[in-house]
Amino acid sequence: MLARCRFLAANALRPSIRTITCRASDFYTDPSKNQELGVSTSPDISPKQREILDRALRVDQAGEIAANWIYRGQFAVLGRDPRVGPLIQEMWDQEKLHLEVMDKLQLQHEVRPTLLSDVAKVTGYALGAATALMGKEAAMACTEAVETVIGEHYDDKFSQLKDFELLPSSHPSIPLLRDVIKEFRDDELEHLDIAVEHHSQRAPAHALLSAVVAGGCKVAIELCKRF
Amino acid sequence: MTTTSAKLLKLALPLVKNHGFTQEVLSLSALSLPTPLANPLPDASVTALFGPGDDACRTLVHAWLDDARRRMKEESTEKMGMGDVLKARLKSNEPVLEHLPEAFALLASSPLLPLLLLPVDPAPIIKHTAQVSNQACWIAHGDVQESSWYTRRATISAIYLAAELHQLTSPKTAPAFLDLLLENAEHAGKALDETAFFCELCLEELERDCKEFWGV
Repeated sequence: MLARCRFLAANALRPSIRTITCRASDFYTDPSKNQELGVSTSPDISPKQREILDRALRVDQAGEIAANWIYRGQFAVLGRDPRVGPLIQEMWDQEKLHLEVMDKLQLQHEVRPTLLSDVAKVTGYALGAATALMGKEAAMACTEAVETVIGEHYDDKFSQLKDFELLPSSHPSIPLLRDVIKEFRDDELEHLDIAVEHHSQRAPAHALLSAVVAGGCKVAIELCKRF
Repeated sequence: MTTTSAKLLKLALPLVKNHGFTQEVLSLSALSLPTPLANPLPDASVTALFGPGDDACRTLVHAWLDDARRRMKEESTEKMGMGDVLKARLKSNEPVLEHLPEAFALLASSPLLPLLLLPVDPAPIIKHTAQVSNQACWIAHGDVQESSWYTRRATISAIYLAAELHQLTSPKTAPAFLDLLLENAEHAGKALDETAFFCELCLEELERDCKEFWGV
């Protein structure tokens, strides 16, 4: 009886605990934290380190722009579907938050944005709308493929640590950036799980569709690193 | 670049206003060291540290331009608009104004010219104005993003290039000329924004008409 009470109490508390936990992105979305050093300043680093940071943030921002427009395209077609519509809206809202944070990171670290942002918007919207027109499962397959590539991209950045090891942890913005990347990686992988749960693998020509979308994403990542 | 040559370059910058962008300045910089040398550096040492002939002078020009950009950032305040930032940058040219035409000519006379088949190499000058424009935009318009980031910088770069060329021939009227160019750019920008807004309204109207026609 006592154990059951403890279990129910723990479950009742879990949502509260979740809301108390501070997400790294809150530092960028909470106006009261605007003046903190980790959010408003950039470290004094060498040109090589600056190039690494520049490239990383440019690609991440471009990825979030594309993801936003993919979901916009999907929502334009499937927004009224009672099952998938709210799901796409929820994932899109998260991507909007990601983009808001990436925009602030770009300004904080004075990073050149990608020259291909308009291309990312058009192709993202076209991809989202086209796969949504193919059906709900195809839309989910597109989400699965995109989130797999983006999740792997964030994970490579985080787990290999090759790039981030060269950046100084002494400045508060760098550990915060690492936490933000980790948080976004987890969010993208959550989207991937949602897509799989909603039958992405039943999409027509799933393997071909996933390969094409994933290939396109990888090419886009390489282009945005340079342009 | 070695630490020694970087130190000497830094010490050479204040001497430019009196001696120009010359090897002589690099040679005399040794006399400004914390433990100064008895004599200026010989030509062989200048060549060894900074390269032969015009290469050494070009290194000095680049160092001076980098220093001017650094001062732009350090001396800027939050309330400065684009006009103020660019005027401050033009003002930093004033002590060395008589030497600037020669400096720009040095930059434009790249060693690669015979390969380019061009009389002058515009790339260093374009790079200089682009760097000034980038710095000015980060100071005065830090919130511009995506494609506007590029169009804004291209516009400011062209404006600054025109203002700086004007300054070389008519230094007293350069600030007013700069203001005129910025005002014209603002009017052009507003006209483009209004045109874009009008096109957006037309497209929305067209979308509504199409939906009505197809009964959606």
